[in-house]
Formats: sequence, C-alpha cells, structure tokens
Amino acid sequence: MKNTINRIVIVGGGTAGWLSAGIIAAEHFMGEKSSSSDHNFHLVLIESPDIPTIGVGEGTWPSMRSTLKKIGISETDFIRECSASFKQGTEFHNWVHGKDDTYTHPFTVPHNFNETNLAPHWQQLREKVNFANAVNPQSALFDKQLAPKNIATPEYSFHVNYGYHLDAGKFANLLRQHCVETLGVEHISANMTAINSVENGDISSISTDTHGDIQGDLFIDCSGSKALLLGEHYGVPLVSKSQFLFNNCALATQIPYQNSEDPIQSATLSTAQAVGWIWDIGLPTRRGVGHIYSSDYTTEERARSELLKYIAATASEDAAANATIRKITFDPGHREKFWHKNCVAIGMSSGFIEPLEASALVLVELSAAMIAEQLPANRKIMDLVAKRFNEKFLYRWDRIVDFLKLHYVLTQRTDSQYWIDNCDPSSIPESLQELMDIWQYQSPWHRDNYHVDEMFPSASFQYILYGMDFKTQLDPRFKRTDREAADKAMGLFMENAKRTEQLVSSMPTNRELINKIYKYGFQKI
Amino acid sequence: MSNYVVLSPATHKNTHVLTERGEAQGDSIQYSLIYPLEFRNIQSCYPIFFSKSAETGEFFPIALFGFENNENLFLDENGWSAAYIPMMVERQPFLIGYQGASEDDLKPIVSIDMDSPKMSEDEGQALFDKDSQPTEFLKAMMTKLESLHHGHEHNKGFITALTAEDLLEPFTLEITLDNGSTNQLMGFYTINENKLQELDGSTLADFNSKGYLQPIYMAVASYARIRALIDKKNALTK
Repeated sequence: MKNTINRIVIVGGGTAGWLSAGIIAAEHFMGEKSSSSDHNFHLVLIESPDIPTIGVGEGTWPSMRSTLKKIGISETDFIRECSASFKQGTEFHNWVHGKDDTYTHPFTVPHNFNETNLAPHWQQLREKVNFANAVNPQSALFDKQLAPKNIATPEYSFHVNYGYHLDAGKFANLLRQHCVETLGVEHISANMTAINSVENGDISSISTDTHGDIQGDLFIDCSGSKALLLGEHYGVPLVSKSQFLFNNCALATQIPYQNSEDPIQSATLSTAQAVGWIWDIGLPTRRGVGHIYSSDYTTEERARSELLKYIAATASEDAAANATIRKITFDPGHREKFWHKNCVAIGMSSGFIEPLEASALVLVELSAAMIAEQLPANRKIMDLVAKRFNEKFLYRWDRIVDFLKLHYVLTQRTDSQYWIDNCDPSSIPESLQELMDIWQYQSPWHRDNYHVDEMFPSASFQYILYGMDFKTQLDPRFKRTDREAADKAMGLFMENAKRTEQLVSSMPTNRELINKIYKYGFQKI
Repeated sequence: MSNYVVLSPATHKNTHVLTERGEAQGDSIQYSLIYPLEFRNIQSCYPIFFSKSAETGEFFPIALFGFENNENLFLDENGWSAAYIPMMVERQPFLIGYQGASEDDLKPIVSIDMDSPKMSEDEGQALFDKDSQPTEFLKAMMTKLESLHHGHEHNKGFITALTAEDLLEPFTLEITLDNGSTNQLMGFYTINENKLQELDGSTLADFNSKGYLQPIYMAVASYARIRALIDKKNALTK
C-alpha cells in the first residue's frame, strides 16, 4: 500500500460533491498547469449519470462568499448562473405567540459588538424598539426588500453582511464546470458497482460500470442520505436527534412570481404552523416554498393543506392549485462518526437536520475546508486527523442541535401538543438548558464561545433570545456602577438609528440590483 | 437639473451660447469624464484617474480639477486657466444622441440643455444664421460632438481591457497643505504599475494595436500633475 495521500476520490456529484471538490482542488492545485507538476496530486469525482441530485440547501451563510472567492468563481458569474439572490438573515413569523408576531436574525452582528455588549442596555428599551432594530440596521432593509450593497460595491464586499439564496441544481452545474475546466478535477460519469478493500479495512478502489476500478488514497462519501460508503459499506450508524428536534418530513414546491419584477425578499421567511414551519425563499426567477413538520404530530394531508393555504395567501389561489409538491422524509441526526478508516462523509451522507438555520451547505464548506487544510500527508497520521475531525464535527452538530432547539423552547405557543412537547424539559439538551439558566442572569457574549471557530456566534443567540421575548434579569449592581457604559450604549443606539436611516434611503432593492448585475456585473475592486 | 431638447433651427433661431467659463457658467466641477484619445493633452494639465459610476458600477477615466466637491482649482478671474479643456467640458451645453430604426441605421441627434447657465437670448455665440443655417460656432461644436461619440466607443474597449488585466487599483491620496490642514481624496482608482510591468508581450502588442497602450502611460505620467494641483490649493488657502 502506498503511504502518501495523493489521490482523492469523491463519490457523488450534487452540491456537496462539487463544492467539496472545488474547495479541496483550490487549496491543492491551481489548474492543469500545476497538477502535472511535482506534487502529483489528483482529485477524481465519480457521478452517477442515472441518479438525480436532491436540491438541498437553497440558503447559505455569509461564509459562502469567501468560499466562492477562494474557489475562484466571480460573484457576477455565480449570481447570473445560479439564479442567486442575497440572503441577509431569517425573518421568523408566529414563532412566539402563533399570531402576528415577527422577529429577525440578521447576519450582521450588533453595532460595535467586539467592544460593547448592547444587550443589557437594550433591556431598558425593550418596550420601545425590538432588539434587532435597536442594535443593527439590517432588519430594516428586510421590510423594503432592499439589497446589502449596490452595483458600485466590489464583488464579495458589502454594506451589511450577506449570504445567498440559490438554485442548487444550477450551483452544482457551475461548480462542476469550474472544477473540471479550471481546477483540473477529473470527472467520471459512471455508476458504482462495488467497493474494494484491503486487509486493514481501507477502501482501495471503487468499481464502476463503465470506467473500471478507480483507485484512491482517501474516499469522500457525497452519496447523499444513502451514505453508500460510510453507512452501507462501513455500517457507521446514524445517531438520531429526534428526541430534541421532532421534524422529519418536508413538502417542497416552487412558486412562480405573479410578475417578473415582483420584489425578491432579503431574508428567508420562516412561518411557524400548528406543527412545524414553512420556509419561503425568494430567487430572482421563482420562490421556493416548503413545509417542514413532524409525522408524529400531524398528517401529510394537514401539512399539505397548510402549505397550500400559505401559497394562496402569499401568491394566489391559482399558484396553490398548480403547485407540484415533492415529499422528503428524513431521520434528523448525524452519523456516529464522519471519518472512518480512509473514508469521510460530507453532506447528507454525514447527517441531515431541518434547514431552520441553513446549516447544510455551511457544514459542507467547513468539512471540505478542514480536509483541504489538514489533508493527512500519509496513511500513518490519517487516523489522528480523522479523530480530530470527528471530535470537531460532533461538537458542531451538538451546537447546531442546541441552536435550532433554542428556536422551539422559547415559544409561548400552546396551541398544539407539538409546541407543548417542544418545551418539555425532557426534550431539551442538557447543554442548552445550562446556557438558558445562565442567560437568565447574563446575556450571551464573547465569553460563551468555547472554540475560536464556534458555529454560531453569541450574536446569533442574542437575536433569537431577545427576538423571542426572553428576559435576562438586569444585574442591580450594573445600574449603579456603569453610568459611563450606559451613556456609551445610548450613543451607539443613536448611531445605529442614523445608519439605519442612511442605508434604507440609499440601498437599491434586491430586484434592481440583480437586474444591474445581469446587465453590468460587479467590479472586482 | 438638465433639460435637454433636440436642436432645431425653428426652436433655437435666437438661442445664443455663452463661451466664457467660470463659476456662474456651471464650471465649478471637481472632475470630468475624459477619453483616452485626449489623454496626451489631458496629462499636460491634469492628473488622470478613474472613477466608478454609481449607476452601473463601471469605471470611467477622469481629469481631476480639485480636492473636494465643486472645487475647480483651474477657475480664476480669467476663466478656466489651462492649455487644454476636456472635450466633455467643451461640449457643454450640447449632447449627442443617436436615433434610428435599427442599430445599423442610427443618425446623430444633437440636443441642447435649455437649463444650462450657458444659455442666453442675446449674448455669446449664435447657433443659426439668418437663413437658418448652422453658424461656424455650431459646426465646430458638431465636429467635437462627433469625435466624442467615437471617443465613447474607444473608451468602452479601453476600460474593458484595463479591468480584464486587473490594471486598476483603488488608492487614497492624503495631502497636507502648507497651513497644516489635511485633505483626503478617496474613491478614485489608478493604474496598477506593478501589474502593468508584468503584462506579457502579446497583451502589450494587442493593447498597442488598439490604441490603449499610449493612454495607459499618459495616465501614469499624469500623476506628476498632482503636485501642481496641490500648489494651486496652497495658493488659495494662504
């Protein structure tokens, strides 16, 4: 057996496979010129011509901007070819009371967040202004469907932080083209027929129907929820998280705009239902809408009728009548480990959870980036890298579960057993309960970050907690001693109000900006 | 605000255009769009930079006249004191547009800004003579407008070539005046000279054949004019 790790084989196309290929290829070789040079590195992606890809993850985090930049795709090409629009956060409806309540989780952290924690100072203003609007200008842009930048802003730069909404199928196509034509990734279109191993249990090659055996030193399983390598071949089991997060079904559809110039939303809209919630994602070309629910608490029929009601109310009766609905079922959770022997899973093969905070694509980015950066030099140290990888991603999955669950435990809804059970202490992870206990007396801030690359910054916890009416008791000592800090905070609130006014009056609408990108494109500088 | 109407002998029989330059004539401008075809003349008087359109995000070359909004350091009691005035300034208050049934069949249409401070009923240059024929002044103006149109097309290719080769870079100019005050000039772009030196032979040959190479070096040479501009500003703030 060869000792060095030179050949990586990715099994499965789709966004997970091609995004991983792009991230690893961009780190290890830049195009064909250098791939033929000394270091001998080779990346192969095997994609079945017969298995359709599932378009998971139409929303990204802001991290996608630096990922795309690193891969070497221009933002103009990306927006034009993937029907992408700007996502500036999430807007939650009916999560608190079940009727006429709204709060937002914008991507931009509160004003001056590195130096000042505005949350305790906001407690005195909470009757006058909601938390997100008090500390950050971004949510004000949501109401008018305004963009996070303008046409003169260089590509990947911004006035307020943003990620994307995109067409996952088109995204995979763009990535495939870039990986093959620019980054020198070898694309094999074939069906896998067998997995071949050596004595120590490592995979040595993948047999295919039309391209023979594909040898490799490291195999990346991007085969989707079937997890053909890690799950089926190695039998690494799935760890269910359904005791915390109940949702296990989705009904998804696409809705055309009434008019081609209809506004494009600045955020993912998430509207809570009697059981579960409905997502609403605006692309330039269409809306993607779907109902996530738990089959333990409702029937497909009821979920379907809630979804159609939502479509009729937000588009038209016609749109509801013509909607083609696709059902997806899943067991919420992740593999017991992600890297076993010389095989690592990325994407749905590693786990899947409801897309409440669009965590699917960011996990692909983080997984591929860690593999790219810490690619084991030889087989000997691979087990150590694998151990660290597993520790890190188990930690990350736990944080995702905590953060998603936070959205449920803060509800005041009691209109269905679903919401009541979601608040039952037995359904709350211990790690989350501990945080909630602390937050009753102090608001989340940098001190809550145990890791430097924490998945969710403390700012995100602030937006959810205070968006959902959580009360942190003011420390009585604070009032007496911190006059100066309070004055400073008032100044920051005023600055934020001014900046909000400036941005709202100067930013173009998403539609206007995207039309200009189609026509002129962004400049690189 | 501008109010452009199509020029015609019937409507503009009595229209005159003032040719003096000064603040009252709307010449207090910090910079003006310029064309690569005139860079040789421009660089003898003004620094050449690039600016970005707020409307389209596209770059365009400019000649710099001052360090702040509405500051034109070339204006004095004698008017605009410089050996060369950019075509886009010269063409005021006229504008050339094209109309036609198809792209191949476009006819030039000259418009005039009726709200320009350069308009007059009785002073300055007449546009048409008694027989409704264009005056020498108007004929000369039409020639300038036509070369503007050609300059516009050439400029588009020039900018595309510059951005394709990453030859533009943002810069901030900090100047300290004799009286100790500092001015910061931001939001403009210059030629990236390191990138320029790295261009390969075939790109240079291509640029040269298209008439892009000379203006690039004219722009680089023009930076020497910044000193003269600072001197003018110092003279004013003494």
